[in-house]
Amino acid sequence: MMRLLRLLNGPHDLGQGRAFWSGMALLAAAFLAYPAIASSFAASNVAYYLLNIPMALGLSLLWGYGGVLSFGQVAFYGIAGYTYGIVAGNFQDFAWGTAAGAVAALLAAGLSAAAFGYFVFYARVAAWIVPILTLVLALLLSTFLGLTAGYQWRVGGIQLGGYNGMTGIPALQIGGVTFQDYAFFYLVAVVVAACYIALRVWVNAHRGQVLMAIREDVLRTELLGYDVRLEQLRAFVLASVLAGVSGLLYVQWGNYITPSAIGLQQAALPVIWVAVGGRDSLLAVAISTFLLNQLSYVLSSSGNQSALVIVGGLLVAVMMFAPEGIIVGLGRARWLRALAPWRSAVGPGRPGHGE
Amino acid sequence: MLPELTSVLYQFGTNAAFLLLSALGLIVILGMMNIINLAHGEFMMLGAYAASFAVHRGIPFPLAIIAAFFATGLFGIVLERLVIRRFYGRELGALVTTWGISLILAQGALLLFGPYMPPIPIPGGAVSVGVYSFSVYWLILIGICVVLVAGLTLVYRATPFGLQARATMQNPTIARSLGIRTGRIYMLTFGLGAGLAGLSGALLAPTTSIAPYMGQQFVAPAFITVVVGGGANVIAGAVGSSTFLSLIETPVSLALGTFYGTMALLVMALLIIRVLPAGISSLGARLRPAIAR
Amino acid sequence: MSESENDATRPDDAPAAAPPDAPCRSPAAGPTRRGLIQGAAGLAAAGVVLARPAIVRAAAENPVKIGFIEDESGNLSIYGIQKLHAARLAVQEINDGFTLAGGPVGSGSLGTMGIYTPTPPTLTSGPGPKLTIVDDGGEPSAHAIVTADPEEILIPSGEKGLLGRPVDLLSSDGQSNNTLWQQLARRMIQQDRVDVLVAGFASAEREAIRPIVDQRKQLYFYTNQYEGGVADAYTFCTGAVCEQQVIPVMQYMVEKFGPKIFTIAANYNFGQLTAAWVRSFAPVLKAQVIGEEFPPLEVSEFSSVIAKVQAAKPDWVMTLLVGQNQSNYYPQAAAAGLHLPMASTVNMAQGYEHKRFTPPSLANMHNAVNYMQEIPTKRNQDFVARFYKMFPNDPYLGQMAQNTYFSIHLYAKAVRLIGTTEQEKVRRTLEAGWAIEAPEGSVFLEPATHHASHYIRLAATDEKQQISFVREWPMIEAWWLQRLGVNLVRHPEYKQYTPQEDPFFKMFS
Repeated sequence: MMRLLRLLNGPHDLGQGRAFWSGMALLAAAFLAYPAIASSFAASNVAYYLLNIPMALGLSLLWGYGGVLSFGQVAFYGIAGYTYGIVAGNFQDFAWGTAAGAVAALLAAGLSAAAFGYFVFYARVAAWIVPILTLVLALLLSTFLGLTAGYQWRVGGIQLGGYNGMTGIPALQIGGVTFQDYAFFYLVAVVVAACYIALRVWVNAHRGQVLMAIREDVLRTELLGYDVRLEQLRAFVLASVLAGVSGLLYVQWGNYITPSAIGLQQAALPVIWVAVGGRDSLLAVAISTFLLNQLSYVLSSSGNQSALVIVGGLLVAVMMFAPEGIIVGLGRARWLRALAPWRSAVGPGRPGHGE
Repeated sequence: MLPELTSVLYQFGTNAAFLLLSALGLIVILGMMNIINLAHGEFMMLGAYAASFAVHRGIPFPLAIIAAFFATGLFGIVLERLVIRRFYGRELGALVTTWGISLILAQGALLLFGPYMPPIPIPGGAVSVGVYSFSVYWLILIGICVVLVAGLTLVYRATPFGLQARATMQNPTIARSLGIRTGRIYMLTFGLGAGLAGLSGALLAPTTSIAPYMGQQFVAPAFITVVVGGGANVIAGAVGSSTFLSLIETPVSLALGTFYGTMALLVMALLIIRVLPAGISSLGARLRPAIAR
Repeated sequence: MSESENDATRPDDAPAAAPPDAPCRSPAAGPTRRGLIQGAAGLAAAGVVLARPAIVRAAAENPVKIGFIEDESGNLSIYGIQKLHAARLAVQEINDGFTLAGGPVGSGSLGTMGIYTPTPPTLTSGPGPKLTIVDDGGEPSAHAIVTADPEEILIPSGEKGLLGRPVDLLSSDGQSNNTLWQQLARRMIQQDRVDVLVAGFASAEREAIRPIVDQRKQLYFYTNQYEGGVADAYTFCTGAVCEQQVIPVMQYMVEKFGPKIFTIAANYNFGQLTAAWVRSFAPVLKAQVIGEEFPPLEVSEFSSVIAKVQAAKPDWVMTLLVGQNQSNYYPQAAAAGLHLPMASTVNMAQGYEHKRFTPPSLANMHNAVNYMQEIPTKRNQDFVARFYKMFPNDPYLGQMAQNTYFSIHLYAKAVRLIGTTEQEKVRRTLEAGWAIEAPEGSVFLEPATHHASHYIRLAATDEKQQISFVREWPMIEAWWLQRLGVNLVRHPEYKQYTPQEDPFFKMFS
């Protein structure tokens, strides 16, 4: 137990010490108290900003800590969502139906990630190839799912629905509790907190150190006796299961999923949340995901047609002036400047060099 | 028999030309400069918009295309000076930034010019072989592809600029120590890439509707073509990959429909990238010593 | 079933109504200070208000709220903005004291023996409300019973506003983003407490918000043409459906051009389902689908499709192409020398392709529409003039806009009849068997299926892409859901049917 606490307070994320953790506890309490003062609608909005955090955390793990960028997280988000819809929809008359759906969703995300990861990592492709491969995977999946409009595309009694998507997805029910409205908000808050704590322990533990070693220098890590491919695969599967958690929560939120949740536009979003926050800090990523989703909604829903222009401008500004991420920049301002400069003074490099 | 064969060849040619034209600007920017330019589709959109502007003010279409090339090229140079140059060596920073730029360009075009621009009528008529008829304009586009590829190769192999550019891409430090102004080379190369994207956009404009988000349809084919082509010889690689991918896509489309053709293309791209991570052009690099022996 | 949150005894926590001559605004992103103060006062007063009957309420402080979500930016904005403007026109007319004529069987008209010209006039619309009769069809020469059109369909309603309250249009932009649509629908239903929701262009958008609508028991109008099959107790679909468009146009084309059909349909739900209709009805019309192609929505390069069409040698082509990318088929086909007659159920009436594409890409195109701006009747041309007076810079007034317009007027009539905006009661009133005199003609809202019977006209284009209405069907019912046994009055349902659930579709193939 003490060891876990020590790992939790480890150095590989922003913030340590008593003051920090008291602040975090206060924040958690605030979120848990929020439904008492907020309307059901406001709570469902905040729940939406929160439920994307696990996917972003997974990508931060894979990219920030592991050095491998994946554009395909949304593919596993979608696989989990669709699998839940199929399994829970077919078994919704049973008490355990939706719970089975949740388990099946995460399993599906994990297994498909394992298969695809084996395909990718055991070929020892260069680091910059992985984003392209994963992007093609997301495109393949969304194109395929868009086809499935016909009646023959059904599993059990549930139609995949093509571009119209799968609608009427049943809400998760465990015991007598149906996770809708406020209950759903609590579910999301607890799940997100659990994911963050678990990941934070993981990155400070041995496995996390190995992952960071791989990020720094692949050859050296291999010479030290670690199977790099296996470690990368492990991280990839973990990140994808987290993306699956987000997907599972999303279909609870909206009871609906379409292939557009997996397309080209959506695929870039997690990368942007992570890049803007600062990819090598879990906390920064969690904060930036929440804030960017909120910003996006506030801008769009106020009828502001230049919402996308503003978001685009924000991205450019962040990348130009706070390239390591806004939150990370703020969090590490004092001591990072002393270290080696991030920017390369030379021109564009060969593939595999630079980031 | 002859009409069927002509039809198949025509479809193969148009599919390959579409892939190559989509990839044209990205060959320079991604293939040579290693900037993952997610705004590539929007550069093509800018070229199409420039061409539409020009054509509807009475400028003949061929001149409008040239105007689009220079307009987009100039825009590329300005963008490089202001933004892109901070991201050399940081490919993934470039990725996020260019995504932001693509949002600004597309949505900005929508806000400034409305949901669509007046279309450009397809020049040329049709030519018949048997029961099939083919669009003359696509035949011209196939020809233009060949000319553009030859021209680009010529620029990079036979001009002083080309030599300096290749040297800079290979080893910037030594190039600089030899007196090459690498900053200017980067600027001109990016401008060239942007201009070529604009040129493709203008060329493809008559075949498509000219709208703010029209660039989206070219992004995936462009990236796939360039990455499958590989970095050993970017131009030859892109030509090789567009030919090869079209060779897969065309028969599948014919037999099973356009949807399965697109799926086949994506699956084949996935396999090639996995099996030949350095792309098709790396095959050429391996063959050359074997042939020389 | 638990009592819905939307009954009459809500506290007055709504933000203050806008003055009647500005009937629409976008809701603010959060509660205003004014709103909070009113909320506090309202809660205190709620106890008093609760005791009163719902009708006797402070009129000016409690507008009737129509929630409206469309894509006003992005690719679908050319449709969304038309619908928004039509909604504003309807709300303005209601607030000014007007309504559309209507009643259980419509206004009816006088008929008598007369002479007419059997060749339809050739028409072209624009700029703005102008209708040019290019060719009036020649000398009247055929004899038949000729019916009149009632003089005026926009009649005084007897009050300004609705039940003594102003009508507010709360509009939001969905930006073609499904998640945003869901968030906006939630906000309108749960936070703004709209009395009726009018939203949705694409079927994906409707399906994204239908779960929320059903969960919250929200009265919802879907005013777009679509593939049919929605049997939802809270939803009223006033757009045209397949049996009203596919069958008339097929019948005409087979009669005129021949029995061999080639279908090119967008590879998604709407395209595939409509193509299934074409396939299953061809034998009934003694025609045959000799080939089908389903290009995905992203495809904009059609050379292989064009080659297949040329190889198959059909008599005519059914094009069910949707979206910017796919509309490139027409110029490409024309450039490739493909000049077959074409039929569609989607083009011209909403996206005004006949005005946007250079001729002759869309020449020889036929569509069975329930509305187009070019309809030359007096009632329509008056409507077009009113629309362009309010929105002089709009490029076109299309089918879905007109559907939105009469749907809002129909809602107002139902509310006025029952005397309350309580959603459950209004929903039942809408099942009374209404006919409304829309600009297209008389439209009947069927009680059991919650769909509308429409006046259908067959529009054809010539080489200059000018319009003629070559055939008319004064009323075609939306009978498919009837055949499936849907009766939402007796047996509420909340699903969408697909053709595969109807055994008829396999009977003749």
